[in-house]
Amino acid sequence: MTSKTASIYDWVDERLGLTELAAFARHKTVPVHAQSFWYYWGGISLFLFLVQCFTGVLLLVYYHPGADAYESVRQITFVMHFGWLIRSAHSWSANLMIFSILVHMFSVYFMKAYRKPREFGWLSGMALLGIASVFGFSGYLLPMDDLSYFATKVGLQIPAAIPWIGPIIGNMLRGGLEVNEFTVQRFFALHVVVLPALFLPLLGFHLWLVQRHGNAMPPAEEAKSILQRKTMPFFPNFLRKDLAMWLIALNILALLSSVFPWSLGKQADMLVPAPQGIHPEWYFMSPFEMLKLLGSFMPGEAGEIAGLLIFTLGIALWVLIPFYDANKASGRRARNAHYFGLIAVFALLATTAIGYWTIR
Amino acid sequence: MNYPFWYIPHLGSGWVIGIIAIFHVMISQFAVGGGFYLPMAERKAMRIADPAVRAGWLEQLISHSKFFFILTGVFGTVSGVGIWFAIGLTHPEATSTLIHNFVFGWAMEWVFFLVELTTAAVYYYTWNRIDEKLHLTVGWVYAGASAATLIIINGILAFMLTPGDTWLAVAGTGHEASKFWNAFFNPTYWPSLLLRVCVCTSLAGVWALITSSRMDGDKQPTLKTSMVKWSVAWLVPSFVATPFLMVWYLFMVPASQRALLTLGIDTINSGTFSTVTRMALVIIVTSATIVGVAYFLAYRNPTDFNLSHAMSVLLLALIVTGAGEYSREMLRKPYVIGRWMYSNGVRVPYVSRINAQGYLVTSNWVWGSAGVATTNYSRGEAIFRGECGSCHTLDGYRPLRQLLDGRDRANIRNFIVMLHQNKDDSPYKKFMPPMVGTEQDVNDLTDFLNAQVNPPAPKPMLTAQK
Repeated sequence: MTSKTASIYDWVDERLGLTELAAFARHKTVPVHAQSFWYYWGGISLFLFLVQCFTGVLLLVYYHPGADAYESVRQITFVMHFGWLIRSAHSWSANLMIFSILVHMFSVYFMKAYRKPREFGWLSGMALLGIASVFGFSGYLLPMDDLSYFATKVGLQIPAAIPWIGPIIGNMLRGGLEVNEFTVQRFFALHVVVLPALFLPLLGFHLWLVQRHGNAMPPAEEAKSILQRKTMPFFPNFLRKDLAMWLIALNILALLSSVFPWSLGKQADMLVPAPQGIHPEWYFMSPFEMLKLLGSFMPGEAGEIAGLLIFTLGIALWVLIPFYDANKASGRRARNAHYFGLIAVFALLATTAIGYWTIR
Repeated sequence: MNYPFWYIPHLGSGWVIGIIAIFHVMISQFAVGGGFYLPMAERKAMRIADPAVRAGWLEQLISHSKFFFILTGVFGTVSGVGIWFAIGLTHPEATSTLIHNFVFGWAMEWVFFLVELTTAAVYYYTWNRIDEKLHLTVGWVYAGASAATLIIINGILAFMLTPGDTWLAVAGTGHEASKFWNAFFNPTYWPSLLLRVCVCTSLAGVWALITSSRMDGDKQPTLKTSMVKWSVAWLVPSFVATPFLMVWYLFMVPASQRALLTLGIDTINSGTFSTVTRMALVIIVTSATIVGVAYFLAYRNPTDFNLSHAMSVLLLALIVTGAGEYSREMLRKPYVIGRWMYSNGVRVPYVSRINAQGYLVTSNWVWGSAGVATTNYSRGEAIFRGECGSCHTLDGYRPLRQLLDGRDRANIRNFIVMLHQNKDDSPYKKFMPPMVGTEQDVNDLTDFLNAQVNPPAPKPMLTAQK
């Protein structure tokens, strides 16, 4: 380092403590074992979120909420140079992010990384997933083409089915009795102001917890003695691999968004009957199908309420797992939690498959 | 037509060639690049003074050459012959034109191909059995022969994009083969050759990373480090040279076809031809990604570099290769042989004759001599298979049912008439061949497509009367 850069470094270091940060990064290590691959999925989710912030801001420049929502998206897609690419990248990264969060969640679950002292990491992660799915739901309506219009209409029936307060919630989200330009305005406010304001601090908290507690090891690794375990330094080894993963994620995103660009349907027309094959996005397919299946066993309002109850109970059990399966030792509770996870994966996959199978 | 129409539902006949060809290119270009990698690595190993390091290098090269021999000798050759089967069936007219022009070229190709296969086997089986200098010479002979196969096939592939004015002047006269060398060293020959050389060296590095990733980084850290880093270095030449070569290549392509590249910037509307633009984006992004991933995963962390890392680099290379080959094919639109034969096999100067006499009359395998159907499909379907089927399917790849969705019969007919007239201001002229044939052919095709897009309502079921 020349004396000039050294003195600039010293000036910044004195005020921000860079040397401490570098020392901290040097000492931080990441466990190396057969399951290390799963450590990258949180980072991939983060990367895809950053892509969405970037592309989202670009879309914000041209998007008009309200009555001319469709027209503005049409212009972005078919008139602006590379508008189609930015919009495709935004939609694809949203879907990929939900996918990678789900992978991240299940890998955390099966590695038992929610156990003490990482309960808050699990809870904040679940909250982030919840917000991400609301991001997805609200963003889906914004183009106001026929598919997004009718899918939103169907989707809003789920909160509206909650006894007593359901209709009020439904009207509040819609801005009236019908899905229309007021709904777009509301969803837009939710999508670009309210949700980011909730998501960003929570994400900061989640990342801070990861720094504080480090990577969790699967129980099989924890059972080994410290001498048998392998680690690698976080900086620069793990970071380099992380960056390589980000590059691959970027590449897959570029591939999907340029080869399969996100299409735009016909403008939503409230007067025509819904087109065939209206279905929710894939990450809502499973709850949608579960409610549908329960409705066929118990028709009417009773079925709807029972469905919502069972669903809420299942999610509550899932969220509260750190308090049920808290012990380090692999006892009966740990095994039960494991089976519960396997059942959850199976139920998600099976109901999603049935959902797609029965679209027509 | 030399063969009956071979219509592949859903996938489309183009993809039959495409899938085989992309698989083949991944391996055959490795066969060329790897052909230089092996003797160069062997020479490097022979110059290492430390006997232990030298033995380590040679041991790794033996295992790499086994992998190389099996991969190229089995999968490379089988898929290469597979391309022959596939193009003969899916594009008999174009294949026939190529054979008539380049039969001598292919004869040379086969000679080098035999030398290549033989020396690859000799090289692998004579490790430590013959004098090491002689062994190295065998490696160089292999490298020369495999380079020759690329040098020859490149002339034929580049010819299809840009046959060149000299050849076009004699095309159709029966004297085409007299301009063999003009057709061979056509306008895109050199940029295309150098581009492929770059791809070959990169693939040599990518595949060598696969075998080097299998080395134990804990037991042989220095050996693995030097092997991995040396393999990564093979990616560098193409990273530096490809952008310039690409510009040169595109500069040699006729401007009308180059214009296809910009079509996808404004729009992604279905029916407009924007795929080339999008594929070109994929090539650029993925090439940059490969370099980044190879740098972070392999060059900076050579001892930790494992098989899944290597596979991810290989997967990315597969994406670039696929996108590159796809774009090259697309850039030729609306021709399969530039300015001479349209992508559905119709020769450009024959258009007026077919318009006067009818399309099916010129198809040997569809109609009998007296205009009587000899096949089990209708006139309209036969025209669809012959004129549309090279690029479109009904409901899979570029699906006509979807592309024509929402049009009634009159509307479909207007569209076909527009393709038939093929006026200069038609947006489709840039990438689609004209629809050729008589008035009746237009009507027959309209009827067939209309029945697909607007199927007649099912007749009410008749209940049995007692």
